[in-house]
Amino acid sequence: MNWITQIFSRRRIYSDISEELQQHLEEKTEDLIRAGMSREDATAAAHREFGNMMSLRGRSREVWQWSAVEDFLSDLQYAGRQLRKSPAFTLAAVLTLALGIGANTAVFSVVSAVVLRPLPFPQPDRLVSVQSLNTRNTPIPDSLSYPNFFDFRANNHVFDHIVCYRDDNFTLTGLGQPVHLDDQIVSWDLFPLLGVQPAMGRGFLPEEEKPGTHVVILSHQLWQGQFSGDPSIIGRPVTMDGETYAVVGVAPAGFHFPVENQTVQLWTTLARDASVSIGHPLTVQRGAKVLNAIARLKQGVTLDHARAEMDAIAAALARQHPDENTNIARTHIQPELEWLLGDTSKALWILMGAVGLVLLIACGNIANLLLARTAEREREFAVRAAIGASRHRVIRQLLTESLLLALVGSITGVLLAMACMHLVLPFGGDSIPRVRQAGIDGRVLVFSIVLALFTSVLFSLAPALQLAKVELVSSLKEGTRSIARGHDRLRSALVIGQIALGLVLLSGAGMLTASFLYLQNRDPGFKPDHLLTFSLSLPEAPYSRTKQVDFYDRLFERLSRLPGVQSAAGGGPLPLSGSQMSVSFNIPERPSAPANRPHSDMAIVTPGYFRTLGIPLLHGRHFTQRDDAKSAQVVIVNKAFADKFFPGEDVIGRRIEPGATADGNGTKIREIVGVVGNAKQSAIGVDFEPIYYFPYKQLPWFIESLALRTSVSSLSLESAVRAEVTSLDKQVPISGIRTMEDVRSESIAQPRFLMLLLGSFAGIGLLLTVVGLYGVMTYSVMKRTREIGVRIAVGADRMKVLTLVLKQAMMLVGAGILIGLAGAPAGGQLLRNMLYGVAPGDPLLMAIACIVITATGGIATYLPARRAASTDPMQALRAE
Amino acid sequence: MTTPDRRDLFPGALEMMVLRTLRRQPLHGYALSQEIKRASNELLRIEEGSLYPALQRMLKEGWVKAEWGISSTNRRVRIYELTAAGARHLEREVSSFERMLEGIRRVLSPAES
Repeated sequence: MNWITQIFSRRRIYSDISEELQQHLEEKTEDLIRAGMSREDATAAAHREFGNMMSLRGRSREVWQWSAVEDFLSDLQYAGRQLRKSPAFTLAAVLTLALGIGANTAVFSVVSAVVLRPLPFPQPDRLVSVQSLNTRNTPIPDSLSYPNFFDFRANNHVFDHIVCYRDDNFTLTGLGQPVHLDDQIVSWDLFPLLGVQPAMGRGFLPEEEKPGTHVVILSHQLWQGQFSGDPSIIGRPVTMDGETYAVVGVAPAGFHFPVENQTVQLWTTLARDASVSIGHPLTVQRGAKVLNAIARLKQGVTLDHARAEMDAIAAALARQHPDENTNIARTHIQPELEWLLGDTSKALWILMGAVGLVLLIACGNIANLLLARTAEREREFAVRAAIGASRHRVIRQLLTESLLLALVGSITGVLLAMACMHLVLPFGGDSIPRVRQAGIDGRVLVFSIVLALFTSVLFSLAPALQLAKVELVSSLKEGTRSIARGHDRLRSALVIGQIALGLVLLSGAGMLTASFLYLQNRDPGFKPDHLLTFSLSLPEAPYSRTKQVDFYDRLFERLSRLPGVQSAAGGGPLPLSGSQMSVSFNIPERPSAPANRPHSDMAIVTPGYFRTLGIPLLHGRHFTQRDDAKSAQVVIVNKAFADKFFPGEDVIGRRIEPGATADGNGTKIREIVGVVGNAKQSAIGVDFEPIYYFPYKQLPWFIESLALRTSVSSLSLESAVRAEVTSLDKQVPISGIRTMEDVRSESIAQPRFLMLLLGSFAGIGLLLTVVGLYGVMTYSVMKRTREIGVRIAVGADRMKVLTLVLKQAMMLVGAGILIGLAGAPAGGQLLRNMLYGVAPGDPLLMAIACIVITATGGIATYLPARRAASTDPMQALRAE
Repeated sequence: MTTPDRRDLFPGALEMMVLRTLRRQPLHGYALSQEIKRASNELLRIEEGSLYPALQRMLKEGWVKAEWGISSTNRRVRIYELTAAGARHLEREVSSFERMLEGIRRVLSPAES
């Protein structure tokens, strides 16, 4: 009978049984009365002959019970008793599992929050990022310019909306202290695109992109904070950068755009970029690639379809505007989440893989513990088999125990993960987007439970196989240990596997560590110690360019007179802040068409910049106060620039014509007057990038950062600096005061995070492996006591015994290393893109990893080996 | 889970007797117990109720089938009938039982063989 109909018909079967038994008793009673008994006696006799009614009815029903569930419950009870009976084993197994499952849970919770969690908008999978694909050299995605964005927006039929956005900042005044705020300049339909309704007011209107419009939407946090949740905020004028903006909306609480960016407090329209006092506004410069773009695919449009159409539009634009667009005749469209995560998701999956290896090693250890335990419990299993338990039943009992262990281990592990995540996550800093939201949620719990089930099967596989092979009952008869015989090979195989996995982990951690040390210790080309940096924002309206230049002149003058300050300068982008402004230039002596001109990163600096940052001057001269708008136009280049564009030539006195102009009245030819050393512009990456520096007074766009070289601890000067700035202008806010050491440390946060995590996993893996090896060797020595006793009795010296045991261990280690060496290169390849200054599979690092494993393995074996060597032959022989 | 039936002579003996009895004619539980008692000349003391777990087991194995009917004494009873599978099982059991009996007899009276 199949089990479904069994469940439904069970009730009928039970009532049949009850009725049948009752009928039997009545018939018997009547028979006895007919034979001459009184009714009372007959009833009693009938019951006596029948037996225990309750128990018989129970046993009759039992036949039909669904035994699997009931068996499982009794197995579980039995397993609980067994585990309580051997607390040492249980504790070791649960702790090992808790480490393995806890680490997996923690990493998975990060993967879940960062990679698997969809973007917090309706239909998030329809959101894509739109970039140009610059095919000049190796194709790389590139930002958009306003005119190209406008053409993309007008000509495409594949997007419901496409919105551009870029970073910007404002100084908010009129509310007590001036506040420096990050904002985003966006095209009008940001909120409709995301599918988000403002909490108050409205989103932007199409006509609000027109030059001269001043509207702003506030974040919920800013509205609550600076504006104390003013309910009549909509329509209220606010002063930003000295101009009046009207608040048209407040975003919902928890709304962040761009998604990863928690600091953006305001959104305004691209009208802000459409009007400038001097030169051409950004919105008409086709060559000014400053925009990110996000779009929502129309219903039914696939990513490929969108790519094809956007590529066609880009190609048409390249034909129309060859000067600016020749190299960007294609687009790069990818899911928004993928764009947001970049390399991070790969790094996280690698961590997930590494932590998976740790779990495998942990499973190996528990399997080994279980094997030893199974051997000890052989008699128990045999007894159970003898009283009628099938082999199948005994194995199931073993699996139940494993399951219970795994569940307890995984609960402990989840608790461990919850405790540790708060300690570990801060090391990642902001280098991993969306990681703040990582935590133990439903998905993570399901993952841990599935993991527990999986591991319990995994680590009981070996003992179960062993049990399946042996004749249980015969082992009871012979009184020998038949399970133990087959064990040694299996246990050795497990340890070899663990060592191989441990080596893969260790070599990966070694490579990441070497790469991190390379990044941290290499010469950045400037002196990051005793260097304080910060930013000012001079509101554009009250400060014309001339007034800005004056302001900075006076400020640097005052700052450099502060006690403890050696020199003060301004400029940027600062080293380690990445590639931010790239401008093409023409070399008049070998001119080329606009699309083919060389280009390079650029920076704008004041005269003391190189001295203050500690960038050495190699040839020529520094900028001076006399390099201003009226004097000859000059430029200083770094060594990488000279080597790349003027290889083998003397560049001092050479002329170039950069595309960057001070007033929009055409480009100027500039003379190279100096060559400085290479300072690392981006923190990671191996090569030094070319960069050319413009004197601020000849290109007064802005001063991105200010830097002070100090003779005392840099941060101690913070209040003095604030006082100086305030004494010049109370309305100028200071932001981002940091030491360059901090900047440097943050710039390598992600490599450090990866290294720390992988390093800890390798450490845990190594520890577990060594414990496993120790266990196997101890067990093996224990079993060979008699043999060793005989060897010593016939004259083997103790050194020889020691060597014997060590040799056995080293065979295991050697085999594990050989297998691990075969697997390690694959791991190295996975890490390839994350390594700097280190080749994947670097032989020296591999050798170190092997030595570490061998040495720790040797230490783990020494104890059992010494015990073997100190065996008393008489005792060993008597014991058997 | 199932405790061994201590009232059984040896595992399977009661089943064998029930099947053998049912091969002659379908019977209900009480009649079956009386019939076994009578046939064994009351030599075997069998707790009457122990029949029922055994019957349920055999029902589940498909060796017997049961149907509610009316007995000769006009009582609603459940009548058990041997199935083909039950008949085959009985044959196997009987022949293996006879071999065992033969073996035991030879051991007990070696002179006769």
